[in-house]
Amino acid sequence: MKKIIRYVASLVLVALVAYNSVYFKKLDEVKAGTASFNAAKYASEFWTKKLLPHTTRAIEIGQLLTLLQTDKNKAFSDYSHALGIGNVRYFLVKGSGTVQAVEENQVLVKVASEREKPEVILVTEFVFGNAVRDASGEIDINEFTNSMDFNNVSAEINKIIREKIIPPFKSKVKRGDRINFIGAIELNKEHLNTRSIEIIPVDLKITN
Amino acid sequence: MRFSPKYFIALILVLFWFALIRCKTRQSTDEPKKMAIVVSTLNNPWFVFLAERAAAKAKELGYESKVFDSQNNTSLETDHFENAISSGYDAILFNPTDADGSVVNVKNATAAGVPVFCMDREINSTNAATSQILSDSYSGCVTIAKYFVETLNKNGKYVELLGLVGDNNTWNRSKGFHSVVDHYAGLKMVAQQSADFDRNKAMEVLESILQANPDIDAVFCGNDAMAMGAYQALAAAGKSDKVKVFGFDGAEDVVKSIQDGKIKATGMQFPEVMAQTAATMADQYFKGKRDFPKKMPVAVEMVKKDNVDNYAAYGKK
Repeated sequence: MKKIIRYVASLVLVALVAYNSVYFKKLDEVKAGTASFNAAKYASEFWTKKLLPHTTRAIEIGQLLTLLQTDKNKAFSDYSHALGIGNVRYFLVKGSGTVQAVEENQVLVKVASEREKPEVILVTEFVFGNAVRDASGEIDINEFTNSMDFNNVSAEINKIIREKIIPPFKSKVKRGDRINFIGAIELNKEHLNTRSIEIIPVDLKITN
Repeated sequence: MRFSPKYFIALILVLFWFALIRCKTRQSTDEPKKMAIVVSTLNNPWFVFLAERAAAKAKELGYESKVFDSQNNTSLETDHFENAISSGYDAILFNPTDADGSVVNVKNATAAGVPVFCMDREINSTNAATSQILSDSYSGCVTIAKYFVETLNKNGKYVELLGLVGDNNTWNRSKGFHSVVDHYAGLKMVAQQSADFDRNKAMEVLESILQANPDIDAVFCGNDAMAMGAYQALAAAGKSDKVKVFGFDGAEDVVKSIQDGKIKATGMQFPEVMAQTAATMADQYFKGKRDFPKKMPVAVEMVKKDNVDNYAAYGKK
């Protein structure tokens, strides 16, 4: 009898150790994190449901530049977004102005504003980076399993801009045109440089 | 009363079992808390700086700490984790060796009640570590790649030197770079090889690539150690004036080389910010905070000739 109890106790102990040592998981579940994520679909929904509605809150570029001169900290705390730590932050801006030049990689625009009237660069070639994704503050990195998924969202948003926003504008725009624009800019809070502001466009309209 | 040897062995085993459990769950409120700093390698000055800054911040916050060198070896890293857990370290500030291979170590520590804060390198799990403080390598390389395309005027032949293939940073940097450069048909990659983030290996790899491709225009390197190795190979071949070298990290010799016009650009990471954030989060954890962001990206800034004066090695002046 004692022998049986001993064997049963040993078996239970071994089973317990074995159960806690090994676990099985379907490979599909392990790989699902990245494989199932559709960055293009996410970017398209983000564009229509989050970014475009948020453009109503974009700050007028002349007003932003004035605020940056008078109260840089307020300008950054009230109007910029960034997902992590660092000095690089993004603003969603809007404005209107007159086209000064149409170049290979960009369109130069003299801003018409009641405040600062800078010449800004509308980027038409190098549409890359996270400015548009992050400027609205409507995206949360912790929603994403893998950083690559998150980075792919930026790539897909930039693709929308390159394929749908820039071509119809670039094919018609010419020097002297009056335009309205909404877009995202990147500024470094510690090493602030507002001499050549590059705007990644989200919406472009020729208003002649 | 007489014990048979079998009962005696069983008794010893049971006592050993309880001792193990006791070791694993030891929680002393009287002893000062300790932080283990486990880094992938101390053979690269960048990681030495990261470890030193983490230790300095831990000390400043009033904690003991010890640095463990994994020597880019996941099994050694596992040993360090086991040591740290059994020696009663209360938190691990961790620079992983392998995005997949290091996950199990983090999970074991978390299961043992030891929070893990990843620094600079990512593990492929969103819930294993308490938080991951990571350089935004992808975005940094997107910025470098834009400058790369402008500098080469959208045309030319180039070589890419990759870091450790098991590290997510290697691919985040490479993918960030290609997300821009691949849009330009005039830019042709003639070779893409790993040099394991190592200066000497990068020099050897590029020397061999140059024999088959003597007419390259640029080299993009996944870190600064490889950029310096690539520059050495180009200088030895008499091509350093013609071929443009781009790095990533913000290491001391590369910042100086940018000033001297030898290297075109690098992505400045901020290891001190990452190390300090990790140590501060561990301190907050000890004080009861549990709600940490799973990932905390740290912005990378491009350093080139016209802004190099704003930067010093591993950060800002």
